[in-house]
Amino acid sequence: MSKILPLSKRQRVIVSILFSVLILAAIIVTGSLIGEERMAIQLASKHQAPSLEHPFGTDWLGRDMLVRTVKGLTISMGIGVLAAFASTIIAFALSILSILNKTLDRMVTSLIDLFLSVPHIVMLLLLSFVFGGGYKGVIIGLSLTHWPSLTRLLRSELLQIKSKEFVTISYRLGKKKLWIIMHHFIPHVLPQMFVGFLLLFPHAILHEAAITFLGFGLPPEQPAIGIILAESMRYLSVGMWWLALFPGFSLVIMVTLFDALGKNLRVFIDPFHS
Amino acid sequence: MKKLIGIALVLFLLLVACSKQLDETNADKQTAEARKNELILAIGSEPEDGFDPTLGWGRYGNPLFQSTLFTYDADFQIKYDLAESYEVSRDGLEWTIKIRQDVLFADGELLDAKDVVFTFNKTKNSASVVDLNNMKKIEAKDEFTIQITLQEPDSTFIYTLATTGIVPEHAYSNTYKENPIGSGPYQLVQWEKGQQIIVKANPNYYRKQPYFQKLTFLFLSEDAAFAAAKAGQVDVVSVPAASGESKIEGMRLIQLKSVDNRGVMLPYVVSSGETEDHFPIGNDVTADIAIRKAMNMAIDRQLLVDGILNGFGTPAYSVADGLPWWNEVTVIEDNRVEEAKFTLEKAGWKLQDNGIRAKDGIEASISLVYPAGDQIRQSLSLAFAEMVEPLGVKVTPKGKSWNEIEKVMYSQPVMMGWGSHSPLEMYHLYSSSTKGIGYYNANYYSNANVDNYMNKALRTTSQGEAMKWWKKAQWDGETGFSAKGDAPWIWLVNVDHLYFVNEKLDIGKQKIQPHGHGWPITDFISDWHWKE
Repeated sequence: MSKILPLSKRQRVIVSILFSVLILAAIIVTGSLIGEERMAIQLASKHQAPSLEHPFGTDWLGRDMLVRTVKGLTISMGIGVLAAFASTIIAFALSILSILNKTLDRMVTSLIDLFLSVPHIVMLLLLSFVFGGGYKGVIIGLSLTHWPSLTRLLRSELLQIKSKEFVTISYRLGKKKLWIIMHHFIPHVLPQMFVGFLLLFPHAILHEAAITFLGFGLPPEQPAIGIILAESMRYLSVGMWWLALFPGFSLVIMVTLFDALGKNLRVFIDPFHS
Repeated sequence: MKKLIGIALVLFLLLVACSKQLDETNADKQTAEARKNELILAIGSEPEDGFDPTLGWGRYGNPLFQSTLFTYDADFQIKYDLAESYEVSRDGLEWTIKIRQDVLFADGELLDAKDVVFTFNKTKNSASVVDLNNMKKIEAKDEFTIQITLQEPDSTFIYTLATTGIVPEHAYSNTYKENPIGSGPYQLVQWEKGQQIIVKANPNYYRKQPYFQKLTFLFLSEDAAFAAAKAGQVDVVSVPAASGESKIEGMRLIQLKSVDNRGVMLPYVVSSGETEDHFPIGNDVTADIAIRKAMNMAIDRQLLVDGILNGFGTPAYSVADGLPWWNEVTVIEDNRVEEAKFTLEKAGWKLQDNGIRAKDGIEASISLVYPAGDQIRQSLSLAFAEMVEPLGVKVTPKGKSWNEIEKVMYSQPVMMGWGSHSPLEMYHLYSSSTKGIGYYNANYYSNANVDNYMNKALRTTSQGEAMKWWKKAQWDGETGFSAKGDAPWIWLVNVDHLYFVNEKLDIGKQKIQPHGHGWPITDFISDWHWKE
């Protein structure tokens, strides 16, 4: 790219951020504009291979797969936002707790270790099952399992800040802990939190698709990507490859975009970090 | 990022693996000559409870290893099998059955009245799907005569006799279900759990020896079975409706009519209290007969058959289409949307601004619950919702597990499926006496006239008479439980059972297939043969 367009590294980062945001926004906008009637059953046009009229083909009930895929991506994004947001809040709260005193710190670190030692997907299945499955189960499950690595990051960040001179001076000047948290800690970790939030996103979306695929996630009448993939399985053997390929590929693209967005944003906010 | 791509890859690989999975153990190709008198079948799932008739084995179709007192032919006429003659006393309570004297079990022991008595006592006392509560006692009058005394006359008892395989008293133990010994056409050689069973012809079989001396039943998933058929490794394979349009070289498609029906069970009473387990009963919308009738009228059943079953099915109008106890007049003309709207309008269901009708402050908005893993029922539910939408009735399909369905089935419409070879099922579905008992009459249907007809059908000693009363219970010109009468169900489709069969194999005429795909096709397996 640098050869075609004479851009600095920073400009390139900005361009790719804009690119990701644009595409993701386009998905959200089209997804939320799609009404029920666009996903209606059209028994006359079922089992159609991709064509100009149906770029992603149609399924066994004649529903347009492009429409279902976009709708599914929007649903996934909605769930991703909620879950990643809740996870970030949990991570932040726990990291603040951990710098308050030694005992709390030990408890938080062992909690992190505990969550990281159990296979993620197993934990997720268990939690979403316990909370009754469906939307609620998935969102709670995702929120409760995605915080550990971010907490670890924020905690070490906060520990660094805590030993900085300006913080110790604030202590000496008799400022309250709450004041220090509000004026020193939060402003410093806010960018980290934002990037962390964006990087949790693709994880949450993929995990949502995975447990939905396994039948423990969203209800089957939703066009979530996991459902679409699970449904497509029984049609693969009769040669309807487009049912799995395009939705799966779209999911991978969306996840990659989010990942790129998060990483570029980190470079943008904190160019000298690594 | 690497991890993310990893997860995405695993998702894809899982898909590919699931569709390509093949059973290697049975993959060794054999030439047609080498297995001239043997067959390999992949027709269904492994029976979880094993092969013990007293626990329910053979209830649908043929017990294979055991034989029964009576049997039906392809037209549902009762024929003798082990029995030679039978008599029912005038009050319908005493059944006297004489059995053949020349029948040996596969181990060479004689089958006599004691074995029959043992079988039925064992079945009665086992906690299985077979309900023998009506049987008061069974005793051996002499070596080859059995007398059964019933609590109440029951014309459907003959169907129980026709589906219960006789087990040997001397060889029965706790492990019988894994080592079945019986007097049927085949005997078990080997059962590799989760993979296959191998059976061979029973040399002591008292009828004509089966043509095929050895059968191998593979337990494969749908996809694996289909792949095995394509590779030419099986002679008979059951396939879902989605695969019906594909071609397999060297095999032909056999499409068997069935009473394996799907329909919507509608709660019949208004919201009223709870069951013993504290689940709500009744639904204010579907308790209105106008709603039930209008939906019954508006559905386009043929479109469901063509669209969802790929044409491999028939429209369903009752729980027993095509069986001897079915009343043909229950076939209604459907796809009458305008008339259905008129029915609703007349009953006071007025269209609101949001396009949904309402009456007395109750909106015509209902859920339709279906078992989440069942794609045919899911598709039917979605299509059903769209078909009744123009009426101003809002139906929201909801996929749930069976556990969850058991909690809501008394108060919400459910996409169910039935279809048995005995009219007793009809009794269980529509009788007041089974209200709220298990899945049967979960919608709390009750109609005194229907009860009266069905009791008469049960009490009579003549099969002809019984058929007459069963038919009246469905529609007697004024009332009944069919769509013409109270319409507590909306029957939608009967799902054809599809099999790909080696094109040289002749499996003869088959019965109308019951609920449950797979084993029923083995019904006349001892008559199967290669075509000349």
